[in-house]
Amino acid sequence: MSESGINRRDFLKVLGLGGSSLALTGCGNTDVQSGVEVVMPNVHPEDFVVPGLSVFYASTCTQCGSACGVMGRVREGRVLKLEGNPESKISGGKICGLGQAAVQAQYNPDRLTQPMVKEGDKLVPTTWEKAMALLDDKTGPKSGISGEQFAFVTGATSGHLKALIQNYMDSLGSKNHFVYEAVSPAIGFAANRQVYGVDMPRLHLDKAKLIVSFGSDFLGTGASPVHFAREYAKFRKAPRGTLVQIEPKMTMTGANADRWIPIIPGTEGVFALGVANELLNHEEYVRATSPDIVALVRKYDRETVSRATGVRPELVAHVAALLWEKTPSLVISGASAEGHVHGVQNAMAIQLLNKILGNVGKTVDGQAQSPFPQIAPSAGSFAALKAMNDEMGGGKFKAVFIHGANPVFTAPSFMGFRENLRKAPFKVAFVDAIDETAQECDLVLPILTAVEDFGSHVAWYQPEGVEVSIQQPLMEKLHADTRSMGDIMLDLVKVRRAEEYKAWPDFFSYLKTAVVAVKPVVKYTDTDEHFWYDVLSHGLIQVDAPQQEVGANFAAAALDLSSSAPVQDPKFPFYLIPSERHNFRDGRHANLGWLQESPDPLTTVVWDSWAEIHPKTAASMGISEGDYLEIASQNGMLKVKAYLFPGIHPDAISIPLGQGHEALGRFAQGVGVNPFRILDPVFEKSTGEIAMYGTRVSVRKTGSKETVVKDEGPYNTQLGRKLVVTLPADVAQLSKEI
Amino acid sequence: MSITNLLNNWSFYRNKRPYRGQYDLNRQYGEYKWAMAVDLDICTGCNACTTACYAENNLPVVGKHRFEHGQVMHWIRIERYWDEKMGEFPEQGTSFLPMMCQQCEAAPCETVCPVAATSHTNDGLNSQNYHRCIGSRYCSANCPFKVRYFNWWNYPSTAWPAPLEDQLNPDVTVRTKGVMEKCTFCVQRLSEAKSRARTEYRLVRDGEVLPACAQACPTGAISFGNIVDPESKIAKMWKNQQVDLYKDMQEKDNTVRGYRILEDLRPFPSVMYMERVRDAEA
Repeated sequence: MSESGINRRDFLKVLGLGGSSLALTGCGNTDVQSGVEVVMPNVHPEDFVVPGLSVFYASTCTQCGSACGVMGRVREGRVLKLEGNPESKISGGKICGLGQAAVQAQYNPDRLTQPMVKEGDKLVPTTWEKAMALLDDKTGPKSGISGEQFAFVTGATSGHLKALIQNYMDSLGSKNHFVYEAVSPAIGFAANRQVYGVDMPRLHLDKAKLIVSFGSDFLGTGASPVHFAREYAKFRKAPRGTLVQIEPKMTMTGANADRWIPIIPGTEGVFALGVANELLNHEEYVRATSPDIVALVRKYDRETVSRATGVRPELVAHVAALLWEKTPSLVISGASAEGHVHGVQNAMAIQLLNKILGNVGKTVDGQAQSPFPQIAPSAGSFAALKAMNDEMGGGKFKAVFIHGANPVFTAPSFMGFRENLRKAPFKVAFVDAIDETAQECDLVLPILTAVEDFGSHVAWYQPEGVEVSIQQPLMEKLHADTRSMGDIMLDLVKVRRAEEYKAWPDFFSYLKTAVVAVKPVVKYTDTDEHFWYDVLSHGLIQVDAPQQEVGANFAAAALDLSSSAPVQDPKFPFYLIPSERHNFRDGRHANLGWLQESPDPLTTVVWDSWAEIHPKTAASMGISEGDYLEIASQNGMLKVKAYLFPGIHPDAISIPLGQGHEALGRFAQGVGVNPFRILDPVFEKSTGEIAMYGTRVSVRKTGSKETVVKDEGPYNTQLGRKLVVTLPADVAQLSKEI
Repeated sequence: MSITNLLNNWSFYRNKRPYRGQYDLNRQYGEYKWAMAVDLDICTGCNACTTACYAENNLPVVGKHRFEHGQVMHWIRIERYWDEKMGEFPEQGTSFLPMMCQQCEAAPCETVCPVAATSHTNDGLNSQNYHRCIGSRYCSANCPFKVRYFNWWNYPSTAWPAPLEDQLNPDVTVRTKGVMEKCTFCVQRLSEAKSRARTEYRLVRDGEVLPACAQACPTGAISFGNIVDPESKIAKMWKNQQVDLYKDMQEKDNTVRGYRILEDLRPFPSVMYMERVRDAEA
């Protein structure tokens, strides 16, 4: 029993979720036949359960880090569908495909339903008692483990689970909490910190008349795709804004651009400085720019920039002319500009345009400052895993915990992560389905999915104020032998700090106490109980917090890109672009059938990996669609089918991330290839992040061929039919529309 | 619709649609005509709508092999077209087209069904009666939009390995082998809303009910409503875009964006598209 005299099960009953076992066992009535169970007519169903009627509960989507507020549609104790929560400033009542698919993770046939322990080289089922005893044996006070010898790897984290993990680390005296994201925003953050003094400024798409995006896929994979899609819709309403996208491979955002400009990977910064040079032909911009920067930028004339970037010289001037004409504008840098050795410099050169154009304070300003640092988000980085891996390779760690990350799958093979992980004598994975990393672990603990568990989340991109997103169970747990990650962490903290945590029997009561403690901050005057139910029914706590101050600090020395020219190696003539798909991200959702069958927006390919190659390049190499190509870097080779794609630089090859699983169940296993494996050890020089776009590859046609399975028909144009009609923006009269 | 009603009024249901006065707010069974508008300028091609449709309408995941053979069951799909005049690169991006059943008023699929398994409802939907369907597939052959999907396999027994079937929406049937299926404008949601409204002696309010695709769409590119009600947003949008449900081969000002796809085939679709806009100066 918790302080409030209500335990978790009772609480679920109050919410009308307690009846699920009835519905869930409805198909198999063996217990009834054997007389173990008595069938009762459902005359008095649980509160809020009206057979045939849906009830909606507010919660939070955890499929990516955006923390969109969602509403779960619950019927007879089962969650059936997620919709956006209109009260959420992040989702605004909308939801993406990735979010929709969360219910498939819940009912996944390949979910882990019981604890597993390694015997020999196989994982075999065990009980929670034995599992927790083993944990205590290896990491408890009697194990003699020191904080130094313990490591905890998590994915991006925030909220009260993060606080609890931190408290657990403190109880062990360990500082080894490594927050790892395979596709992380760390390079952009580093640039933003230098320029604006904050990790991530707030971007006002809706206020801009022109957006120039250097490889930022804000509609698909960026900071908060649903939020940015909503802002984008406002941006496209009258007076319609113009979008210019500059990137080596067309992203979903690029596909929606008014002007898409292909560029040699890594030269985005040079292009930005070239545009800056053109802008500085206007006296008012020169006055607002420091002389040393003006002197630096003057080196980047049209012809020089064109030679470096492969973009026609007149386009440099053209982009500058658009920026001069349409103010306020917004210039954004993104993954394909940042994933290079000089990624921070590239990003800063791009942000310099915002400074010159006076966008800072208009379309770029500060986010609200989270008043709760303990639950503030850690967005994660690659460098964290690299540091951890180096220490682990030296045999430093006796015990490693892993939650919310799959480094065996996402770490490039040059790191030897799998081998290093084997050097740690005791590895524990907390997962809902066995992935590549869990397969390597000695103990695998089955945890609840996001729709079964309590939690709290704070997104690192906050559109308005600070939204603490609250996650509540949308149904009773599906598998009896699974446990809440929060409950497990609480138990572990109590091993060493029983006295401090004795008030809370479970994570629910801990979270409730923590949430109720926020009451004064939001000036809520009713009782604690009312506040708690209020929070649950809205699914969020909206905190008005002061906005962060953003500066605009540029030093000429940090912007010099004269040494950024890519290293040419005739053996590896192509740039590898490991592109992030909006539904797959780093591959953790590859086991969801809906997402496998949801066509990639640009290629319409399903259930596979493919290599995007420009038709011109393909023609010169005699490659046609479906030809198997051997794509080799210095660190590995992938065999993958060719897809001829006009939206890519002719010197680049793109393979999407997320496929190529050896584990994760029937929908993911054996589908496609994993480009993470062949990345070269090229690092961003100031942050140590991996340069995702820094790998060079060779391409060889193997001679074998197979159909590319895709939604697109044999022709990829409209063949003169009036299917999608395009109207020039100066003809359309959007302001007269409804 | 009952088969008796259909047979008694065969020519009415087959030939006379659409005609002015067919829908009327003041007449029972004529007070609704569901219609849609899709703004192609803000559709980003993200596929949120298609996944939402899988979730709402119990669409089976068919797998790679069956997908390859054209047996995918997505009731709504995003078609992607490159510009025919494209040079080396797609410099104006690409074109996305969300394509679902257009709920044609003079539906080419309806006239060819030998058993009247597909016919028109009073609220203007092109309905599919799974019980009556014998799987001739004439409707699919006759559909100019290619939005009808045939169950070549017994998906109920294969597509939802336990416990995935717990996610199935109990408001929607799971279709078995040998029947045709297609987008219904989420008729289960419409029925529920109409029934709720009826018990409160009113009509369904504008915005009260949305199909799953329109509800999910992050940019709000899909609008939906009852076009019979002149005050509804959808009726105002159609009027503003100079698209008339009852007319074909329509002339409109060159500044408005509304059009219906393959209008010259005279199916009178209930879905209006709004032209994609591109800044030619950019």
